[in-house]
Amino acid sequence: MIEEETLVLELKTKDKQAQAFEVLVNTYKERLYWQIRGIVLSHDDADDVLQNTFIKVYNNINGFKGDSKLFSWIYRIATNEALNFIKQRAKLQGISDTDYQDKLVSNLEADVYFEGDEIQLQLQKAIATLPEKQKLIFNMKYFQELKYEEISEILNTSVGGLKASYHLAVKKLERYLKED
Amino acid sequence: MNKNQKNPFNTPKGYFDSFEGKLMDKLSKTESTIPKGSGFKVPDNYFEKFNDHLNGRLENEPKVIPLFSIKKIIAVAASIAAIVFISLEYDQYASNKLSFSDLANTDIEAYFENNDFELSPYEITEVLPVTNTEYSDFLNSPIQSNNLLDYLNENVSDFDEINIEDNE
Repeated sequence: MIEEETLVLELKTKDKQAQAFEVLVNTYKERLYWQIRGIVLSHDDADDVLQNTFIKVYNNINGFKGDSKLFSWIYRIATNEALNFIKQRAKLQGISDTDYQDKLVSNLEADVYFEGDEIQLQLQKAIATLPEKQKLIFNMKYFQELKYEEISEILNTSVGGLKASYHLAVKKLERYLKED
Repeated sequence: MNKNQKNPFNTPKGYFDSFEGKLMDKLSKTESTIPKGSGFKVPDNYFEKFNDHLNGRLENEPKVIPLFSIKKIIAVAASIAAIVFISLEYDQYASNKLSFSDLANTDIEAYFENNDFELSPYEITEVLPVTNTEYSDFLNSPIQSNNLLDYLNENVSDFDEINIEDNE
């Protein structure tokens, strides 16, 4: 696997840019897709946001100073793109973000790209009730199995704070699933 | 390390440093009621075709035009310079413009003498500003008897009509 520093350097070099960008896309597309899908839920929306994310990365690579890892920088862009997507859609429909997310969960039952059973659908309903940050942390830790250190760099939160948030999220989800 | 001299108990080295991690690991093992999979799936070959879709989008992506291009900056600067130049010229022109006070009294008198305005005294009184005319103006400028006699001589044909003697 190509070193991150080399990749960044090549992304900023005109004649190597196209090839380096392909490496970048191949390296991160799947991981970023699942990060985005966990937020927007629908495949079509996740595809839109994923493409927007890479276009943003491509247009702004010269602005990447290397203060953080390329991986966490791209993850942050993807997360912000997905959250903004939700906010814009909710605004367009004149409803709150929470109401829009509830709507997304109810759409899952008819979604051809969701083949979860009843308990998995209940889990998505339960996740929708979590505060935004807990939702992100839970998705990143539970489904994507990212390390706390990685999540810490992406969300700019201490590892201790992440552990506490994750634990709280798990407790809430368990309670929701038991009560339902 | 035993910090309290009265406390005979001790803890393994680094116990408190690793306590949080061990606790969280234990807590995370109680996720049994939460299903492991998310239930989401993607269309067949989605990730294989993704690069082509993305390249298509990038090719159709409109070029980013810098908000403050050199050409725009020059155009704006030229516009500002032109506006400043015109306004300065206008001020100079305005400062050279003649006003009524610049006219000599003799010019005004000559103008009125040489032009027939066909205005009756009543019409003139409507035109002339009277707001600054005070009663004292008449007192301070008494009509000369010569002027009065000239006026009467020119305008009155029958002196009996005036009946001066009766009014005296």
